[in-house]
Amino acid sequence: MRNGLRWLGYGVALVAVGFAVVLASRFGTDPGLVDSPLLGQVAPVFDLAPLEGGESVSLDELEGDIVVVNFFASWCLQCRNEHDALTSTANAFGDDGVTLVQIAYQESPPNSIDYLQTAGRSEHAYYLADPGSRTAIAYGVFGIPETFFIDEDGLVVGKIIGESDALTLGATIDAIKRGESPGQSVTGDTQQRPDQ
Amino acid sequence: MSERFRNTLTVSLIVVMAAVLVTLVVTSPMREDRVQSIGDRIKCPVCQGESIANSPSQMARDMMALVEERVADGQSDEAIIDELLFSYSGAVLLDPPARGPTLILWIAPLGGLVIGVGVILWWRRHPPGLGSPEDPAPQRSRARKLAPLLALAGAFAVIVVVAGFFLQDREGPATGVANLAGEDLDDVSNETMEAVIAANSDHPQVDGMRLALAERYYEAGDFRSAFPHYLAVAGSSNAAETEAVTALIRLGWMAWEGNGEVATALNLFDEALAIDAESDTARYLKAQVLWCGAEQRDEAEGLLEDVLADPELADESRDLIQADLDAIRSGGSCA
Repeated sequence: MRNGLRWLGYGVALVAVGFAVVLASRFGTDPGLVDSPLLGQVAPVFDLAPLEGGESVSLDELEGDIVVVNFFASWCLQCRNEHDALTSTANAFGDDGVTLVQIAYQESPPNSIDYLQTAGRSEHAYYLADPGSRTAIAYGVFGIPETFFIDEDGLVVGKIIGESDALTLGATIDAIKRGESPGQSVTGDTQQRPDQ
Repeated sequence: MSERFRNTLTVSLIVVMAAVLVTLVVTSPMREDRVQSIGDRIKCPVCQGESIANSPSQMARDMMALVEERVADGQSDEAIIDELLFSYSGAVLLDPPARGPTLILWIAPLGGLVIGVGVILWWRRHPPGLGSPEDPAPQRSRARKLAPLLALAGAFAVIVVVAGFFLQDREGPATGVANLAGEDLDDVSNETMEAVIAANSDHPQVDGMRLALAERYYEAGDFRSAFPHYLAVAGSSNAAETEAVTALIRLGWMAWEGNGEVATALNLFDEALAIDAESDTARYLKAQVLWCGAEQRDEAEGLLEDVLADPELADESRDLIQADLDAIRSGGSCA
């Protein structure tokens, strides 16, 4: 019986070490890299005003289109890097039932407007403000850039965490047009607002 | 101090400490208002282990404002938390949910407590030196000694694997969107290629994709869409010689076939031949334009003879060119 107790002690110690190993292996991993629970779900609706103000744009208006929702900010380096790819994708697919919606993330509209003046815009895209981060919260944004793909039926079928490029964006849209659900991919780091 | 008293004291202390702990856990939210209470349970998604109630970040403040609004609307705590779970999954909870894979995290401490109490009680009742009638004989076989160790090692491995499975990263399926970029270009649409080219117009390797896209348009008879891409490749200092020659030949043929521009077409063929004087395609098509558009049969005949002299010319092409040559020599009109 005393031997049994000793083995029980060893067992408890080993269990503790096992959990410690597993938990230690989690150090340094980004907790934001979880599967988006939105994948396969109806996309959260939004009804947001353009950065310059004026008539708001809602997701409902875009029903029937493939909608690419991208959260961006001028302070985000990765967003700057991917901007040309987003613009060219919007231009290339603009007449083909694809709409780009870029939503400014935790940035005042004047700053976003200044940035877009330099970075450029697509005539097939909307550039919207998100007061109170309500839409960013609804989409479960951990950091930017994050890009969501909504199919013609209004379901979230794809998500890119990190900087994307034109081939990835276009190939994702091609896949959605073929009726596929591309799912989620992590292409790089995301960024938080510098003062956080 | 008697043995029984010490045992009773030990167990009492453990029970009291557990009760205090449970009381603290259960009653603490009662002291706070609902917004604060909910905020304490929600992890700030842009912070390191802070609740939205305690984080000064803008995102946390925005989420607290959302919680406040929902509370004011009369929503229940669970409804508010479920709304955030719908967007962020369980990663937004500071405390793991007491269900599913994370249930073990709640049960484990309780199990540890029970085992600990059991061990202490047993130890008290069986102090060292008393021995036990159930003790096995000191002489055991080597295999019997190793068996518990192997069993523990196996259990350890199972625990690590199972825990690793439940706690692993959920970065999405292997067929994620980024992997699509590695697919065959045949599956990539013209629009995607247009977007890639536009976004990488200064990239030295974009000419290959430009030419591939232009060839798609050309083969579909869409000269208008193909033209700017061929023109860009022909004028690119980064384009390989074969790419530039192909682009010039296509431009020449489109100038003739599409617009009937003989001089432009001939100039473009000459530019291609200046880069690659042995290009059979450039010589053949130039001969066609000379014959059909400029009535320069002799020069056309000479070019076709040069092409036929190429020993690597495919048999099918050889037959076609020979037929054209025969037609020129016999004074026939071009097809």
